[in-house]
Amino acid sequence: MMKKGIDSGVQTNHPNKADYGYPQPVRSPDNAVYLDGWKEGKLMLQKCCECKKPIFFPRPMCPHCWSDQLEWIQSTGRGEVVSYSLIHRPNHPSFNDEVPIALAEIVLDEGVALLARVLEATPSTGMKVNLATESEVTSRYPLPVFRPET
Amino acid sequence: MTHATNPPVQAEPLGSKPAQPGGDIGIVGYGQTTYYKKTDRTLIGLLADAARQALHSSGLEKNSIDGISVCSFVLPPDNAVTLAEQFGLSVGWAYYGTAGGGGPVAAVLNAVRAIEAGHASTVLCLAGDNYDIAGHFALMDMFSVGLSNYGTPNGFGGANGLFGIVQRKHMETYGTTREQLGKIAVGQRRSAQHNPNALLRGPMTLQDYLDARVIADPICLYDCVLPCAGAEAVIVTALDRVDGSRGVRTLSGFEHHNHPVNEIAPLRGGWELFRDRLFEQAGVGHEDLDFVQAYDDYPIMVAIQLEDLGFCKKGEVGAFLEQHDFAFDGSFPLNTNGGQLSCGQSGAGGGMIGLTEAVRQLRGEAGEFQVKKARRGLVSGYGMVGYGHGLASSAVILEQA
Repeated sequence: MMKKGIDSGVQTNHPNKADYGYPQPVRSPDNAVYLDGWKEGKLMLQKCCECKKPIFFPRPMCPHCWSDQLEWIQSTGRGEVVSYSLIHRPNHPSFNDEVPIALAEIVLDEGVALLARVLEATPSTGMKVNLATESEVTSRYPLPVFRPET
Repeated sequence: MTHATNPPVQAEPLGSKPAQPGGDIGIVGYGQTTYYKKTDRTLIGLLADAARQALHSSGLEKNSIDGISVCSFVLPPDNAVTLAEQFGLSVGWAYYGTAGGGGPVAAVLNAVRAIEAGHASTVLCLAGDNYDIAGHFALMDMFSVGLSNYGTPNGFGGANGLFGIVQRKHMETYGTTREQLGKIAVGQRRSAQHNPNALLRGPMTLQDYLDARVIADPICLYDCVLPCAGAEAVIVTALDRVDGSRGVRTLSGFEHHNHPVNEIAPLRGGWELFRDRLFEQAGVGHEDLDFVQAYDDYPIMVAIQLEDLGFCKKGEVGAFLEQHDFAFDGSFPLNTNGGQLSCGQSGAGGGMIGLTEAVRQLRGEAGEFQVKKARRGLVSGYGMVGYGHGLASSAVILEQA
């Protein structure tokens, strides 16, 4: 369901991210797989090879057991909204035309949680969401974004 | 040449009793600058004001200060040692707070320990920043690697967006309402109307609070602090160095950070881990406190502190809020100068405003917002927003010496 004022997500008149002026994450050896994966429409997560726990956000070592043996797994991209806020006053001016921004805490099927935008609808607690994977979306947004499950 | 030998001291085995800050050490002076929405003054100038006021309030000589501590977001590349240079102090102990708004209370606890350990005898503890709303937003965009890499690029709305998530979770989990949380902001505003240094002093009703414009739903305007410029200071030393009426004893205090681990928006913090020890070591109960100065970046975080510190059970703060009036002359005096919600948030100074206010109250110097018979109070700190919430927590119980 569309709600007036919620960002419609995909706009074709802005072909690359630079046009939006969004603040960008700083690429590093710790997060390169995560950031590059998103540009291919994938949500990549770290998983500890020793304690087997999933990890978010990307770290240089497992925060649970301190192993440095981490592997990358591809998330199903499915999750559930735990809580959210509707941001009418973004910190960075590049977001001003998109308010309110729905920022949600989403717990993924893999059992780990992250903060991400939910596009095209006002979220609700318990709402099932899926990763948005179209190239227009992945090229526009610096970090993974979600949509309500259809 | 012979020398007299002192009788051997009966040494207690190390660790036989908990390290208890306080006893004979406490806060003997406090200072607070004017708060400014915007100013051309330098941060070091503001910190100097607070330091000079604190020294004057202690009655000590400048050269008795031999330790320095500072908490600030925008002071770098300057630090505690370069402030010693600026202020002409020769110090045996220097400390830079790393716990955001939880830092100043932790800094006082560390100053007490430094004095107990003999590294210093008198410590000047400072906190402050000179930013404004734009400066605060810029700071939040680059606050930590976790937040700037994985929060900021989402258009996260700064702390407002993150605490909107926390508040909604508390409301949906426990049934807490905006009407209940609003009693904190409204009670504190009533105190602020008596405080000429509060930047926000206009009358505020519960309806004004409820009707305020939405910032990061469910966070609205009067849930937010006004970022401002200002500085706070206290002086920590042995209480017998000053006359009795100036001293405030630290009965107990703790800090705890990153609890619970690996959660984005928890409804609890480090206070729950040390609450029992805090009261046990102080030798007082909740009913013995005459006021609470809780870190008030948002009413929801005050509510969570009240739960974690044991004033009510987890999840029952809504009913607790309904039962009380939170102005300085109410049934539960809270942030009695108006707190950050009415005075403004002077950056890391927001973690010390409760300390200076507690000392002001315990010395009976709060004038028109003086709590009657203020003998004992609790000050709690909170801050250092990571990926989703404030990671730092601290608290101290203070008593008239």
